[in-house]
Amino acid sequence: MTRWSVEGLTSRLDRFRLGPVDLALEPGRVVAVLGSSGSGKTTLLRTLAGFVPPGDGRILRDGADITCRAPERRGVGYVPQGLGLFPHRTVERNVMYPLEVRGRVDARAKVRPLLERFDLVRLAPRYPARLSGGERERVALARALAAEPELVLWDEPWQGLDVEARHELGVVLEELRETERIPVVLVTHDPSLAFSSADSFLVLRAGAVAFRGGATELLHRPTDPFVARFVGFENVYDRAALDAAPNGSLGAWLRERAGPDGIAFARPPLAGAPPFAGRWDGTVRSARPSPEGTAVTVLAQGLSIALRLAPPTPGPVPTVGGRIRFDVPEESLRPLGTGGSAA
Amino acid sequence: MRPGGERAPGRRRLPSGRPWLALQIVLAGSLLLLFVLPLYALFTYASPAQIVAAWHDPVVWQAIDLTFYASGIAVLAAVVGAIPLGYLLARRPFKGRSLVEAVVGLPVVVPHLLVGLGLFLLVIPGSPLYRFTNAIGFPVYDTIWGVVLVMVFVSAPYTVLAADLSFRAIDDRMLEASRSLGAGPATAFLTVSLPLALRGIVAGLLLTWARSVSEIGGILILAYTVYPGGPYSGPVTSTLSVLVYNLFQAGNLAGAAAVSCVFLLVAFALFLLVRIGERVGWLPWQRGELLP
Repeated sequence: MTRWSVEGLTSRLDRFRLGPVDLALEPGRVVAVLGSSGSGKTTLLRTLAGFVPPGDGRILRDGADITCRAPERRGVGYVPQGLGLFPHRTVERNVMYPLEVRGRVDARAKVRPLLERFDLVRLAPRYPARLSGGERERVALARALAAEPELVLWDEPWQGLDVEARHELGVVLEELRETERIPVVLVTHDPSLAFSSADSFLVLRAGAVAFRGGATELLHRPTDPFVARFVGFENVYDRAALDAAPNGSLGAWLRERAGPDGIAFARPPLAGAPPFAGRWDGTVRSARPSPEGTAVTVLAQGLSIALRLAPPTPGPVPTVGGRIRFDVPEESLRPLGTGGSAA
Repeated sequence: MRPGGERAPGRRRLPSGRPWLALQIVLAGSLLLLFVLPLYALFTYASPAQIVAAWHDPVVWQAIDLTFYASGIAVLAAVVGAIPLGYLLARRPFKGRSLVEAVVGLPVVVPHLLVGLGLFLLVIPGSPLYRFTNAIGFPVYDTIWGVVLVMVFVSAPYTVLAADLSFRAIDDRMLEASRSLGAGPATAFLTVSLPLALRGIVAGLLLTWARSVSEIGGILILAYTVYPGGPYSGPVTSTLSVLVYNLFQAGNLAGAAAVSCVFLLVAFALFLLVRIGERVGWLPWQRGELLP
C-alpha cells in the first residue's frame, strides 16, 4: 500500500500557472478534481504523471521524492482524456503493452486474469476502433492496471459514455478501490460520478486551489458559481447579475447576503396551492414534471428563479404566464467566493 | 397513385449529382490522358522486336541494376536520416524550425542540374572533401556513391515531409499513455510513434525511391559514367536515365524508346505489385506490425 503526498506543487505550461497544490493520497481513496474548463485539472494530472515540468514543491511516494522522475519510473497509471488506446494493437495487445515494454515473456498469460475480470476475453482480438465507449474504458483501465501502478490518474473517465456504460464502469471503479487499494485521482465534469466515487474533492480555479475537502463541506460551502452548479445548485447568481438588481427586489435582497462571487441556493419549495404564499412574487415561465416533483421556473423582477413543487403529483400545477408567490429560506443561501473551507 | 395522392411503395430516387460527377470525370480523365499518351508514344515508336532486343541487352540490365541498386541505398539513407528529421520537425518544437523546414523543401524546387553542380564543386578533385571521401573509401566522383548522393539529395525530402506529417498526426495522449505504462522515449517511439506513422512514411519512401530512379540532372554532372568501386563491382555503366539520354543524344530514338519501354515495364510491375499488396492487405506496415 503506497501513500502519496503532494506538497506545494506548482507548474507552468506556456502562460498558465498551476498551484501550489497540496494533496494527500491514501490507499484506496479517490480524490475528484473539479473546476471549469481551463482551470488546470488536466495540467495537474500531467504534472503528477511527469509530462509537465514541475516548478516548486514535491511529489512524495512513500516518503521518497519522485518529483523529477521520468514518467515511466513513477509508478503512476495515467489514463488521459480520450484514453490513449493504441489503434494498431488489438485489445489483448493493448493490455499486454506494459508487460511487453518491461520485457516480460509471459505477458499473454499474465493479462488473462485482467481480461477476464474486465469481461474483455471475447473482445481480445478486436481493435479499439471496433469497440463501444464502455468497452474502450474497460480496456484502458485493464491496461493501466497491467502496469501495476501505485497511483491511478484518470482524466474524464465518463466522457461520452451512455447511462448504462457509466453505471457499469462505476461498479468497476468501486471494485478497483476495494480490491486493489490504489489511490485514484479523477478529473471529472460529472457530479454523479464525483459524488458516488470520491472521498474528497479538490477544486481548481484559474490554476489555484479554491477548495479541498469532503463532500459535505463542498455541498455546504461551494466556492464559486462553477462549483455551485457542479454540486447541483440550480439557483446560482454571480455578483454582476445581483449588482444590476433594483432596490427592494429579490435580487437586492440576495445581494446583501451574497459573497464576493455571488450566491447559490437549492430550489425553494412552493407551499400550498396556486398562487401559493410568500414574500416574493414572479411570473411562471415553465412547470415541468421531474423525479422530485414539479420543477417550476419563475421570472421575478428580472431574475430567473428555480422552484420546486413537492410531490404528490399530479396536484395543482401553476399555469405558465400566471403569477405566484414564493419564499427563499435564508438558511438555504450559500454565499460564493468566501474562501471555501479547506483551501 | 393510390387514393388520396399517396405514392405507391417502391424504390425512389435521390438527386444523383450526375453533372458534378461528369465534370470530375472529364477533369480527372484529362490528367490521366496526359499520363498515358507519352507512354503510348514510347510503346508505339519502338517496334516490339526492338523492345524484345532491349529486354535481352545486358547493357540495359546493367543500367537497370545500377539504378535500382543506387536507389535502394538512397532509400536506406532516407530511412536512417529522414525519419529522425521528420520526427524532430513534427514533435520537438525548436527555434529555427521554419528555417529547417525551408531547407528541407529546397531540394524539391532547385533545378537538379544546380544540385549536381553544387555537389560537384563540393567534391571537385583536389578539394578537402574529395580527399576526405577518397581516404575513407567513399569516393563520389563517377562512382555509385556519387549517384546515391544526388539521389538522396533530391529525393529524401519526400520522406522527411511524409514522416513529418505522419508523426504530427499522432495524438500526444497516446504517447503519454505509453510512457506512463512503462515505455522509455525510445521504446515509445518504436512501439507507438513509428508503427502509427509507418504507412505515411512508407508512402514517402516509395516517392523517394521513384524520384531517385528518375533522377538525371545531378547525375549527369557528378556520376555520368559509373566505375566499379565501393558497393558496386559491376562493369562500367551509367544509370538508366543517363543511358536513355545518351541514346537520344546519339540520334537513336527507337533505341531510347525501346530501353524506356523495358524500364517502364519493370517499374510498372513493381508499382502494381505494391498497390495490389496494399489492396490485399498483406504488407506488414498496413497492420502496424512491422515492429513490436
